[in-house]
Amino acid sequence: MSIASNAITTNGTSQKMTKSQFKTYLTLILISLYCMVPFIWVVLASVDPKASQFLKIPESVSMDHYWNLFANQSGLRWILNSIVINVSATIIALVFAGFGGYAISRTKAWWKLPLLYAIILVRIVPPPALIVPVYKVMLTLNDWVNALINAVFTDVATQQTMSRAFSFVDGYLGLILILAAMQLPLAIWIMKTFFDAIPIDYEESAAIDGATQWQTVRKVLIPLAMPGFAAAGLFAFINAWGDFLMPLMFTSSPELQTLPLGLFRAFLRVDAIDYGFLTALAVIYTLPAVIAFSFARKFLTQTFSGGVKG
Amino acid sequence: MAKIELIDIKKQYGDTKIVKGVTFTVEDGEFAVVVGPSGCGKSTLLRMIAGLEDITSGELRIDGKVANQVSPDKRGIAMVFQSYALYPHLTVAENIGFALTLKKHDKAEVAQRVKEAAKMLQLEDLLQRKPAELSGGQRQRVAIGRAIVKRPKVILFDEPLSNLDAKLRVQMRAELQRLHKEFGSTIVYVTHDQVEAMTMAEKIVVLNQGHISQLGKPMDLYQQPQNTFVAEFIGIPKMNLLDGEIQKNETNMFVCSNGLRIPLAANYQWTGKGIKLGIRPEHIDLADNDQWQYDVKIIERLGIETYLHLQRGKEDVIVVRLEGDHDLDIDKVSLHFPSELCRLFNEEGQVLLPNVI
Repeated sequence: MSIASNAITTNGTSQKMTKSQFKTYLTLILISLYCMVPFIWVVLASVDPKASQFLKIPESVSMDHYWNLFANQSGLRWILNSIVINVSATIIALVFAGFGGYAISRTKAWWKLPLLYAIILVRIVPPPALIVPVYKVMLTLNDWVNALINAVFTDVATQQTMSRAFSFVDGYLGLILILAAMQLPLAIWIMKTFFDAIPIDYEESAAIDGATQWQTVRKVLIPLAMPGFAAAGLFAFINAWGDFLMPLMFTSSPELQTLPLGLFRAFLRVDAIDYGFLTALAVIYTLPAVIAFSFARKFLTQTFSGGVKG
Repeated sequence: MAKIELIDIKKQYGDTKIVKGVTFTVEDGEFAVVVGPSGCGKSTLLRMIAGLEDITSGELRIDGKVANQVSPDKRGIAMVFQSYALYPHLTVAENIGFALTLKKHDKAEVAQRVKEAAKMLQLEDLLQRKPAELSGGQRQRVAIGRAIVKRPKVILFDEPLSNLDAKLRVQMRAELQRLHKEFGSTIVYVTHDQVEAMTMAEKIVVLNQGHISQLGKPMDLYQQPQNTFVAEFIGIPKMNLLDGEIQKNETNMFVCSNGLRIPLAANYQWTGKGIKLGIRPEHIDLADNDQWQYDVKIIERLGIETYLHLQRGKEDVIVVRLEGDHDLDIDKVSLHFPSELCRLFNEEGQVLLPNVI
């Protein structure tokens, strides 16, 4: 439609505008529906006692699948494993990213750029390519740790508990560290970029006011960097939460199984696929990511407005 | 209260010399303004006084004690940053009391002192707000509040008014002078704006390329500039500088510039060749004769004064200030240069004699 014809038919313009708007909205709604169908199916099937692989409105609603998940299967265990491992990995990644990002942002050393590119390079390498060397390293560390545990504790039960917690292979510590390490490059980049945006005036002002290094970090830098931490933490948590390869590689005991592994193994069971159970698991699996996002949103929108300049 | 002495202070990053040997003293309770174009080293100088930059060589004394190696918080100073550096996550009250809270002062005492500072700066109603909810001028006052609440011996200002609009700047200038009178703190104030320097300073230090160009009272700098840099930097519009030379006859000396011929004092000693003739726009008069005619390029009417931008041939533009409003409809004017108000500078830009006639 030409501009000229629009200009002439002034009376019809508003009518045409609504029509075109209607078309726009219709298209967008259709696209949204298309994207949402899998989620809708997952939610509906999870509360349908007769869940099947087809999208349908449940005849009755029940929480049986969820009940089954927690009461009869190891669902609770998987969730707790996932939460403990991923939250720990996220916290470790954030601590290192905070210090590392700050240091890289403030340094003027010649190695600043090479280091930044090296960090990105680590990120570029596909994780499966690293499996063999990483596994080798972890195995060596594992031997050391277990030798240490066996030397320190004599009681077999304690040895087993400690081994479960601190082993690098088939233990919590190993998985936590490897997941944290995987999330670190992106987290460091996010934090570095964020600290770049925090004017050094804040720190200098704190220094003149007599703040110690620790006070500057705690009272000035961390509060100012909260949006950065929220963004980096959100990415780290969601990435780690969705990671399938590392738990598969580094755990074998059923007690260490995380949610994605549990979901996968439930799907592979030889007997008939229990769609209700799987979808309930999928809903539970999605929830923390949603919660994490809504939690981070509060900080993501925080800005420096008013802090510097007019 | 404290006296600040800078003795041959130098600052160098690698091979780049930023401050090249600066010596001056700010007396106890004095309002000193360091002024210069951007990149002249004035902010670096201030940051060295604050202790945020190391001093490459030279000596800094605060209250007679060498302070080169004293940490910033032990120097008894407060600093107002150009960016204000207010913490966005803290309220106005928390921002003002930040330094006291760090030092673990009693809560009641902090509240009391914050209140006092807020009262002085008319911020009492805003204490619970966050910086984002304040206007530029209010933020500026909070930044000042944060400095004065510490009751410092010295307050350093790093271009504090540069983020404000023109009207607010005028208001804050008056405010700063009032605060200085009330507190009596020694103030070192850095700016690139010579108007701020002229209006507030008791002592001006003009810095150019890491050197002090001139140091003195505002009016001394205005009336007796020691070099062309100061002559052009201080005063708006800047002093007119014309290239010329000196000519003599049996009885008199003249300075000649593109046909101009202004008589000088007979006992004037001069052996060089080129010369610069400096005269302020307000010192030039319009003449009735047809000598030295200039083309009128632009007329700026401000009501209280009128500026004429004049040019002759390819010479630099000369600006003339006329008192009051003039609705001139002319293409050409003739000028009269009162010889007693002309300043002469040599080719290196140094003033020839302070009392050139």
